[in-house]
Amino acid sequence: MSEVDMAVIKPEMMKSYIWLQTADGLIQQVEQEVAMFCPMICHEVIQKDMGSSKNYAISLPQRVNPAMLSLILDYCRFHQVPGRSNKERKSFDEKFIRMDTKRLCELTSAADSLQLKPLVDLTSRALARIIEGKSPEEIREIFHLPDDLTEEEKLEPLKNTTDDPRIRLLNRLYAKKRKELQERQKLKNIEVEEERVDDRSVDDLLSFINGDNGDSKGIKNSKSKKKNRRRKDQQKNTSANEAIKNHNKEPNGLNQVCHSAEVGQKVRAGVGATSNLHDVEDDIFDNKNEPDDGDIDDEIDPALKEKIDREVEDFARRLNSDWPERMQEILSFGHERKPVHFSLNGNGSLRRYANSEQR
Amino acid sequence: MRNRKAINTNNEDITNILPEECISYILSLTSPADVCRSKLVSPVFRSAADSDTIWGKFLPSDCYDIISNASSSSSSKLLTSSMSKTQLYFHLCKNPIIIDNGTMSFGLDKATGKKCYMLGARRLSISWANTPRYWRWKRVPESRFSEVAELKEVWWLDVKGTIETKILSPNTTYVAYLVYKFSSSRYGFEKKPVDLHVELGESDAGRTFRIFLDPSANIPQFSREREDGWMEVKLGEFFNEHGDDGKATCSLREVDNYTPKKGLIIEGIDIRPKDSR
Repeated sequence: MSEVDMAVIKPEMMKSYIWLQTADGLIQQVEQEVAMFCPMICHEVIQKDMGSSKNYAISLPQRVNPAMLSLILDYCRFHQVPGRSNKERKSFDEKFIRMDTKRLCELTSAADSLQLKPLVDLTSRALARIIEGKSPEEIREIFHLPDDLTEEEKLEPLKNTTDDPRIRLLNRLYAKKRKELQERQKLKNIEVEEERVDDRSVDDLLSFINGDNGDSKGIKNSKSKKKNRRRKDQQKNTSANEAIKNHNKEPNGLNQVCHSAEVGQKVRAGVGATSNLHDVEDDIFDNKNEPDDGDIDDEIDPALKEKIDREVEDFARRLNSDWPERMQEILSFGHERKPVHFSLNGNGSLRRYANSEQR
Repeated sequence: MRNRKAINTNNEDITNILPEECISYILSLTSPADVCRSKLVSPVFRSAADSDTIWGKFLPSDCYDIISNASSSSSSKLLTSSMSKTQLYFHLCKNPIIIDNGTMSFGLDKATGKKCYMLGARRLSISWANTPRYWRWKRVPESRFSEVAELKEVWWLDVKGTIETKILSPNTTYVAYLVYKFSSSRYGFEKKPVDLHVELGESDAGRTFRIFLDPSANIPQFSREREDGWMEVKLGEFFNEHGDDGKATCSLREVDNYTPKKGLIIEGIDIRPKDSR
């Protein structure tokens, strides 16, 4: 509508506006039909009679900053128009979510706080597509997450749901491999995290000393405790170091235990991801001729250690038979990718078929 | 080189931006394998990944119906009724439950959440199986079913199992395996190859593969050992689109009638999604 047209229209037919205030104090007015597309705003207007004037501006949740609000309103402005076809809407959506990952996350969060479900679905699906198929390391890179899971958390991802003996044995295998990797790293003089690593190594030391054999179950809720733990550890550090010396452990070796970043890359102990057991399988092959790492389990008593070693070997053997297709390839067929089927010709000689899809 | 001294006040950190429920919702839009992997990303992801909303989504929609059909004698019914969705998912991946009057087992494929079934030997059509001179039925502790079929001696070996595609997960390529072992006095399977065949519905001709079930030294071995101690050999595969293709028929036969065979012990036919490896 042109300005001339608008001047002719009666005041009652003028667009009405809703007043919104973001957490930073900025107040703006938004066309009513656009703003009301958000359930949260709708609720405030209808139930609480807010938003009709500047003084009664609706306070938006903290997660909605002006930039996000602007994006959300663009979305609402487009979609609240009833006449649009599905194709148009889909096309708009596809262009709309083309933004960097951080903004996608902020937008998801903002839309969620305004209860705008269609937008939450749209952005969540976009983020899901980003996450799909990626390794934990890659996901951390994308979302700029610190690598702050303790190695115990990393190695026992399913502890909370089922007490899967396979996972435990897998962890032992990984712990063994990790130890060896770290010994090698130590020799290469790679830069080691200082304060943080010391803190965590102390935790591990203390827990090992106190008889916890690495099957700690209290990791689940450790996220919030982690900050406190670090602060406490600053003080504990010096006294614990004395304790270490008294107990005759090797502080350097155990410091390395926490340096999981490099190892995290190779030792992906996720379950359900075929790539992980692939790594283990490689590990098994690599480890076959390695000398027995005596000090890896020096925190665990010898009888238990023997049992664990036996379990590890048994598990490695079972893993071998668990992946027979690959094993067959490697051991029997050499470079062939799939098992080959043979059949007899009329004269009794063997003939090869490549094994392919049934349909 | 990635900066390992990550600062906690990093405002790029997604976990400072997104609440855990949002992360759980995003994860529920991925796959079971992705969610398991995501537990290794960070503590928040780890916590978000354990949510029932995620694993409830990955359970098959008729999962609870199937469980309620479980044999009343199985303790799994009691166990599963008290589990959270997350627990149930992982339980079914590791512990198939016996259903349909003890003739079938049901479980889940961990990486995808798709349904897996094993047809017990009693559910298969085995020629001459009810003639004690040829086949014997017995209990063995290592079988999930109450009975397995043991071949005493036969010339005509014909083992067939069928499954309705409508009970399978849609849009999935399934592979059928014969689950078996040999007794110490086996005979005939090193001499004569067996025909392995899978076909779908009425129209699909399927493919037949011929292999030696008990190959001698220089002949390829197509069977492999399963985790539960039995052996399995791939009978074939088929693609289930919407579950409206009728039945899938899987068979193993050796019917040239010249070679006596003995010593084959059959637990059943295992039908599960094809590995994406």
